[in-house]
Amino acid sequence: MAPRPCAVIGVGQTKYKRRRDDVTLDGLVREAALRALEDAGATFDDIDAIVIGKAPDALEGVMMPLLSLCDALGAIGKPIHRVHTAGSVGASTAISAVNLVESGMYDTVLTIAYEKQSEGNATWALSGGKSGGQGAGGTFAPWIRNYIARSQAPEHIGWMVAVKDRLNALKNPYAHLHLPDISIEKVRESPMLWDPLHFLESCPSSDGAAAVVLGNDDIAKKSGRPPAWVISHAKRTEFGQFPGRDTVRPQAGVECSEALYRKAGITNPREQIDCAELYVPFSWYEPMWLEGHLIAEEGEGWKMTDAGDTELGGSFPVNMSGGVLSSNPIGASGMIRCLEAANQVRGTAGEYQVPGAKISIGHAYGGAAQYYAMWMVSSELNPEF
Amino acid sequence: MPQLHDVDYTLEYPYTRTTGPVIGPFLTGLRDGRILGQRCGDRVLCPPMEFDPDSFASLEPDLVEVGPGGEVVNWTWVAEPSAKHPFDRPFGFAFIKLDGADTDLVHAVDTGGDPEAMSTGMRVRAQFRDERHGSVADVYFVPEADAADQVIEPGDEPVTITEHLIGLRINEPLYPHRARFAQGLLDGKIIGQRSPVTGKVYVPGRGYDNMSRVLMSEADEVEVSDVGTVVAFTELNPVQYYGQTETEPYVRCSILFDGTDQPVIGIDIRDMTVDEMRVGMRMRCIWRDPDERSVEDIDNRYGNIPETVYARFEPTGEPDIPADELKEHSW
Repeated sequence: MAPRPCAVIGVGQTKYKRRRDDVTLDGLVREAALRALEDAGATFDDIDAIVIGKAPDALEGVMMPLLSLCDALGAIGKPIHRVHTAGSVGASTAISAVNLVESGMYDTVLTIAYEKQSEGNATWALSGGKSGGQGAGGTFAPWIRNYIARSQAPEHIGWMVAVKDRLNALKNPYAHLHLPDISIEKVRESPMLWDPLHFLESCPSSDGAAAVVLGNDDIAKKSGRPPAWVISHAKRTEFGQFPGRDTVRPQAGVECSEALYRKAGITNPREQIDCAELYVPFSWYEPMWLEGHLIAEEGEGWKMTDAGDTELGGSFPVNMSGGVLSSNPIGASGMIRCLEAANQVRGTAGEYQVPGAKISIGHAYGGAAQYYAMWMVSSELNPEF
Repeated sequence: MPQLHDVDYTLEYPYTRTTGPVIGPFLTGLRDGRILGQRCGDRVLCPPMEFDPDSFASLEPDLVEVGPGGEVVNWTWVAEPSAKHPFDRPFGFAFIKLDGADTDLVHAVDTGGDPEAMSTGMRVRAQFRDERHGSVADVYFVPEADAADQVIEPGDEPVTITEHLIGLRINEPLYPHRARFAQGLLDGKIIGQRSPVTGKVYVPGRGYDNMSRVLMSEADEVEVSDVGTVVAFTELNPVQYYGQTETEPYVRCSILFDGTDQPVIGIDIRDMTVDEMRVGMRMRCIWRDPDERSVEDIDNRYGNIPETVYARFEPTGEPDIPADELKEHSW
């Protein structure tokens, strides 16, 4: 039986900030959920099931956040699920919600991902709570060095990505970082955190939540708002460490994108996809994922960045919203990528809209670059390639 | 000689909670000696909520004083209080419907340790602690007849953020394979596990081969060389978080030891700069004197080869291994 078609019919985001000191965690999550419901022209009564995601509990120190969130999200009498795949969780959560609609089990599903990082400390949490932890930056920096050595990329590529995403963020009112005077010089001269990553090549720590309302084809057609059809999605996993692991170009990432493109009928991602929201928490991951997800040939990703192809207005815009480099409530960051891809094909991306975008992808990775989740959205249910 | 010890450490962090427009005034009220409920239609919710629990509609903050008296609707008895309980003598936890509220507050009732003094339907009254911090523990309840009149000085600033030291003490023996690995380090040896299926050598062994899904035991253990090749590195500028003791930048690298198939990650290099490091560089472990070795940082989840067992890693001076040959060992 073919899967039931599924579309994004509403999205909601909070303003991302260093600390949202005006709302509780539950209030923050509700804010995004209520905005998504409003966008979809729906209420909690219209929701059949709820799927939530966040990064590991150590980030806020709230064990089993579902205990209060099931109340706050109107889940009483309905199924609620929690998805748990580290940093990729926002995208995994969105895709898990799509599965519930595609299966025919539920007509309308609300999915939400969040992090209120100011309640704890992400580097503490990602270091096992011990001194001398390397956190995410310290884990990825050696792999980035190996990418640079392997691809012979010049050092300014990382700085370019850091500037480009922050300039894009100026067009996005929800973005955490608004740095109008960002420049290559500022990035290069900011403190070195994890060589070769400077402070300004790294994501911020944000409070925020993102929510998406998904509906089947009947619901989507009745909705007055433009749908973003989820025409393909894929998740893949690999061990964090094993003999033979290539951390620069993880096999699970390659296979995830192959599966995503195959299901959609994409044969030339660079040409057939209009724009992408890729999970780039550290600048160099833009070229690494362009290659690792088969948008560019191996060793060629940085040349797309260097040529300006990934800028808003370039031939393959990446992270039009400002990306993870501009807003990073970790658990939500993957869902924001999916949501912003949907904004592009719905034509609702405002000042950072890619004109005429019909096909876009949202992507996230997590753990030691071992979890991958990607979705492809289209303005049409059955696009021709 | 240093000995192996059980794992014993406390994982803890001073988390904060943003109290928001409804819980904030509630906690501020407790600090100032008043209990507040939230109006919801024609009902009053205490503890207050930010939304209608029936319709899930948002509620505008609209707080009204309730109590300080109330009625026990149901209760249980805590015969053996723990260190984190509000009293050091036996006490009751009760559902209390405060005067003027329509919902129950779960809170502690002190009867002087006497369970016979507890009953459903009994009248209780709030008592405020001398030291109050804008916490639900600022208040407790006693039988109405035992209540004292109190004069409470209100505080200054409203409560908007509270802090909570949340921790978990971990006290457990090292798993047998972790204990043998740690003992090896104390003995100046690096112990790996060789997969009985593929022959690949893992350091440290994790007790199973994740690729072939077979268990590995002491019989699969091998001592490996303490000479290896750098496959990845960075220089960390330590982020200052709770419990962080590192203050200066240092190099951290992954080394593929000779005869092994998976690099050891997270090796600290304290006497070389990032510019002196190369992928492919050959390095040798220079161990500390046996009496100076410690494996206290090794637990069942974290810790590979800690700097508490070696003095330094020293370049051997051999020619580098070409980076191409290390592509599949980049972590």
